[in-house]
Amino acid sequence: MELTNYLNAMRDASGVPFYPVVFQFFLVLTFALHIMFVNFLLGGVVVSIWARIKATPNSLRLSKALARGSTINASLAMVLGVAPLLFVQVIYDPFWYTANSMSAYWAMAFLLILAVAFTASYVFYLSGSDKAPGASGWAVLALVALLAAAAVIHALSVEQLLPQMWKTWLISGQEVNASGKGLYAFEWHRFLHFIAPSIAMAGVYLMLYAWFFNGRKDYDRAYLQETATLGANLALYATAAQIAIGLWWLFSVPMEFAFYKNPFFLVGAGMGAAFFLFLMTARANPIKNAPVAALIAFLSIFLMSYAREALRMTYTGKVGYNIFDYKLSLDWGSTVLFLGTFVMGIVVMAYPILVAVQVAKNGKESNNEGLAKLATALPVVWFLVVAGLGIVISLKNGTLF
Amino acid sequence: MYPFWEVPVWTSGIFIALIATFHILPSHLATGAFWFNVFIERKALKENRPGLLDFIKRYTLMILIFCFVYGSLTGVGIWFAATVASPRSISALIHNYVWGWATEWVFFILEIVTIYIYYYTLDKVSPKTHMRIGWIYAWSAWISMVIITGILAFMLSSDSWIRTGGFFDGFFNSTYWPQLFSRTALMLGIAGLYAIISASGMENEKDRNDVIRSASIWGMAGMVFGGIFSAWFLYKMPDAAKGLGLSGGLPYLKNMLYAAVVCYALVFLYMLVAGLLRPQLAGKTLGILMLVVLFLGIGAGEGFREGVRRPYIISQFMYGNQIIAADVPAKAIKSEKELFKDGFLAHIYFVPDGLRTITPENEKAVGHIIARHQCGNCHTFDADGKMRALPGLFTRLGMTSKDDIAGWMDAMEGYAYMPPFLGSEEEKQAVAAFLASKMQK
Ligand code: HEC
Repeated sequence: MELTNYLNAMRDASGVPFYPVVFQFFLVLTFALHIMFVNFLLGGVVVSIWARIKATPNSLRLSKALARGSTINASLAMVLGVAPLLFVQVIYDPFWYTANSMSAYWAMAFLLILAVAFTASYVFYLSGSDKAPGASGWAVLALVALLAAAAVIHALSVEQLLPQMWKTWLISGQEVNASGKGLYAFEWHRFLHFIAPSIAMAGVYLMLYAWFFNGRKDYDRAYLQETATLGANLALYATAAQIAIGLWWLFSVPMEFAFYKNPFFLVGAGMGAAFFLFLMTARANPIKNAPVAALIAFLSIFLMSYAREALRMTYTGKVGYNIFDYKLSLDWGSTVLFLGTFVMGIVVMAYPILVAVQVAKNGKESNNEGLAKLATALPVVWFLVVAGLGIVISLKNGTLF
Repeated sequence: MYPFWEVPVWTSGIFIALIATFHILPSHLATGAFWFNVFIERKALKENRPGLLDFIKRYTLMILIFCFVYGSLTGVGIWFAATVASPRSISALIHNYVWGWATEWVFFILEIVTIYIYYYTLDKVSPKTHMRIGWIYAWSAWISMVIITGILAFMLSSDSWIRTGGFFDGFFNSTYWPQLFSRTALMLGIAGLYAIISASGMENEKDRNDVIRSASIWGMAGMVFGGIFSAWFLYKMPDAAKGLGLSGGLPYLKNMLYAAVVCYALVFLYMLVAGLLRPQLAGKTLGILMLVVLFLGIGAGEGFREGVRRPYIISQFMYGNQIIAADVPAKAIKSEKELFKDGFLAHIYFVPDGLRTITPENEKAVGHIIARHQCGNCHTFDADGKMRALPGLFTRLGMTSKDDIAGWMDAMEGYAYMPPFLGSEEEKQAVAAFLASKMQK
């Protein structure tokens, strides 16, 4: 059985319930959102350690704010990570399942390591006083664990890109290794290319923080200015480093891929460069420029995520795999269910977020009566519609009684 | 076939079992807790008793950390464990129910966003706004149960899906409603017990006792209705499942059911005595002990539900060893039974070149590879194994030689809880040779 046959034979017999390009789009979009919060989390922990150790009143205050933010970023990063995890299994299942099965203990360890990281970041936040977070050792533990988790998931991803190596890794002589203990691939440049942006994104995060609380009486101006300037500098220098690492990675991609000519890559890289140039000028007034910086940063991440996907398509295309010829078993019903729920979710979410922003900025909420009513009613309506559908179908199929 | 992950002594399934069992408490708490929260918050407002808000704060922080750190992690964990222990079955589920999971994911995000905002805006927004946020959380969390129950129930009773391939036909199947109702009731039971524990530390005596009383009424109602709906569930189970679980096809399953009932009864008694009648008796230590009891009860119940599905991992469709057992014409899926009977080895990619053709010298090694894929999801091969160790089982049947075992394998079709062996005569001999070699140790 040769590799291409294996890959295509392992594709799920059920096919995919909608056009692969749609799954691919959601895969990239949700991955970009996920990695952005991972960056906020990782970078935030780094800065909070530094600020905790520096131990001036302002830096302790910042450290505390970041520690609290880390717990929220952790939750968001995790829940946002679920979606790309789901979609990758839809269109790249032969790669995903093979790599995970080969390194099964690592896939399990990944979660255990994350549990350590999250616990440590909670302890760091909760064990402190009003003015400072807990001992920096906790944050260091969280950082080490987060990096370890990143390394594992990185290795699992690279294993997927090298299917021609799989047999070499698993088979030696007459033995097939079924221990699940091996971790087989690691690429420093690629790994660093995911880690370095954390510092840049922590910079953006600090700028946003200063922008957000700017004008509130309990936040003094000098503190916010100092924070935003720190943020802009971090973002600028880390982005410069990121560009260098990106070039290093680019040259390590097999030349035959001609990836430097790939339009997805060019657009993504262009956006990254634009971010760098913008930061050069934005440094003069980092508080005011924060929202635009955040927007450009997210666009760079999103486009780079598309470039990452284009690279995956190139790698998998080399071994005769193409997501666009996946067997299609169109299912409109469930597709509409998701898309409708997705849009509804955005509307519902807008309400609590709006309230939170109003409270944080002005100390009190404004009048949101219309949105409030809509947001509280929609989940109930959702349930009534789905339950109604369920009852009709159950009666039709005779499964209710 | 994907690479097989062979876990000595326990089989890889132990990872799913451990993580899934742990996940039960946070997940049911996350879905149930806020109904009680919103109820108490309303009471605080209506009767103008700000002291009750003290409870809200404690209760929410506990949910936040316990559910949204360890609950979410173990939720993802079940998925990862299934990925590495049974990749083809999780793949089959995902390729049919991806939009269901994606829909559930939208509600996960709503849960996370609302619970943080709910927690951090307590006393900072108007009570009405705050309750609305709590309300959105309560619905979103419960809806995530409305969705996942469909997929869980599908694995036990796929009903007409096997003919139509329809998403909703498989989703709203014959055990869907009983499971949704009993899980909903039970989640209120769990929420009640948790509320008793976290309220027991409240300072104001009257507030404390009031909350505990209400919580125990919720909890007891949840347990009673949970019991009634569980009975409905047992009644609605597919016949094959009843045969295994209730009529003694696999006797241990019935014991699990008894264990679950005893645990639930104990918790019910606790809530009656130390909650409703004498709330001053409620305390942390005994409460947490009861939580452990309840946890064992639910664990037994879930184990029962998982157990009666055998030999399938997805009802009618896929065997526990990840082999497709039936045609699904609507999706152009072919059963793999006939295909594999002609030769299974050819369908495994990870086979050393020297083992492609079976010879007397290599037959044990080949047999090992085939046995992993056909028996290894449910059995360990180690003589000292803890999970249905094959050497022990064969010894009990009095079969120790290769010929005995090969003969027995011909008759596997007769077992209600095991898939048949699917492979050529030569391959069967190889598996028998491998298993016999394990016996001699
Ligand atoms: C879907 C899971 C599953 C698979 C796959 C499976 N078995 Fe079993 N097997 C079971 C269960 C459950 C039992 C009952 C164990 C008990 O009684 O504790 C069992 C029992 C047995 C027994 C004892 C039977 C008896 O009468 O007491 C033998 C022998 C056995 N299996 C061999 C095999 C072999 C060989 C294979 C692979 C060709 C295999 N099984 C595949 C689930 C499975």
